[in-house]
Amino acid sequence: MSEADLILVIVVATALTFDFTNGFHDTANVVATSISTRAMAPRIAVGYAAILNFVGAFISLEVAATVASDVVEAGAVTPTVVFAGLVGAISWNLITWYFGLPSSSSHALIGGVVGAAFAAAGAGAVLGEGVLGKILIPAIIAPVVAFVVGGIGIVICYRVVGGQRPGPVTRGFRLGQIVSGGLLALAHGTNDAQKTMGIIALALIANGSLAQGADPPFWVVVSAATAIALGTYMGGWRIIKTMGTRIIKMDTAQGFTAQGAGAAVILSSTHFGFPLSTTHVISGGVMGAGAGKRLSAVRWGVAGDIFTAWLLTLPMAAGIGAAAYGFVSIFGSGAVGPLIVSVIGVALTVMAFVRRFRQVTPEVART
Amino acid sequence: MSAAISALATIVDTTALWETVVAAVVAGIGVSAIFSVAIFAAARFGELGREGRSAPALAYGALAVVSGVAFLSAIAGGLWLMATD
Repeated sequence: MSEADLILVIVVATALTFDFTNGFHDTANVVATSISTRAMAPRIAVGYAAILNFVGAFISLEVAATVASDVVEAGAVTPTVVFAGLVGAISWNLITWYFGLPSSSSHALIGGVVGAAFAAAGAGAVLGEGVLGKILIPAIIAPVVAFVVGGIGIVICYRVVGGQRPGPVTRGFRLGQIVSGGLLALAHGTNDAQKTMGIIALALIANGSLAQGADPPFWVVVSAATAIALGTYMGGWRIIKTMGTRIIKMDTAQGFTAQGAGAAVILSSTHFGFPLSTTHVISGGVMGAGAGKRLSAVRWGVAGDIFTAWLLTLPMAAGIGAAAYGFVSIFGSGAVGPLIVSVIGVALTVMAFVRRFRQVTPEVART
Repeated sequence: MSAAISALATIVDTTALWETVVAAVVAGIGVSAIFSVAIFAAARFGELGREGRSAPALAYGALAVVSGVAFLSAIAGGLWLMATD
């Protein structure tokens, strides 16, 4: 195996690790509504979401194409740049997870890659128009649209079923949530798994293993789908343990509408190749469904936290990506730098997990 | 201000963005509305059936079935469009 191939293997493994953590991170968003309204038992909800995450990854390749060709100049980046970008994204995800900030894995990924490309090849390597037009503007619009759709949707639902007995209505929307929850998992799989596919495709292009503009190979699609589905499945078990303290209570109509709004926005954006933050869109749908019933039902403080995290994520991940590239470059252009960073990264991740679980476990035991 | 907006319009694919917003609004609100009608009709079907009013119950039953089929068809159609277009 040549040194270039070894770097590529490290990049692919890192990208799939990112994909796994993305699924792990986002399980709560996808299944929390179904579990809190008792539309599905936790075990079934998590398994169902994992399967549909996997299936969703095969629906479209538009987002993968955007990530591979509209964010950074493929000709100006190397697999090491992609690796540094992934380090930036994973680091920011871990930092925000450690401190409990609601950040977007997708924005962290884009930020990390942009920062690393900027550090490696200057401003010319960053496709500003693509970042603005395909990432930033849709990132602002999508959660607002989800909020509006969730808000109007719940008002219509209440108007239509308002005079009916609550029993059949609750059971009906609970049934609907099986479909809307499934759609949301499908949407999450298709948008988020494709980001990893795009990143691996970018590394393959940089390595000369894939023609520029070509679709990701099938093994990339399958491995990205598998990684996000496994992450979703594994992440769910932690959520089930602590769900009683984390999930906002909402009725089945709100759950159905919030999930429907999130799925509609993510799926239509995916169709046009916009890589969104699924976390922000789902939050927008949930807040819209809450606000449609009663404005005070929405935890506006959470919205503020999401906005702050949104502002910070791109620049912070870009900064870490650039710093990671600088550190890797100290060891030359070979595989030594990525190997050292990988070992340090794994050690720090294990330390962070151990520390966090030591802090969380006594609280969970008390509840 | 207008110069900034027109500069943005040249960078952003406004057609794709607009189509995304319209598709999301129509699909999100439309599907919720259709499913609500299905639930309303199913609830009325049950209620009228218990009261022994079979003719209106049957009409609501038919409406529930039609709305349910429309709900599932809209979702299947959307996914088919995504996978094939």
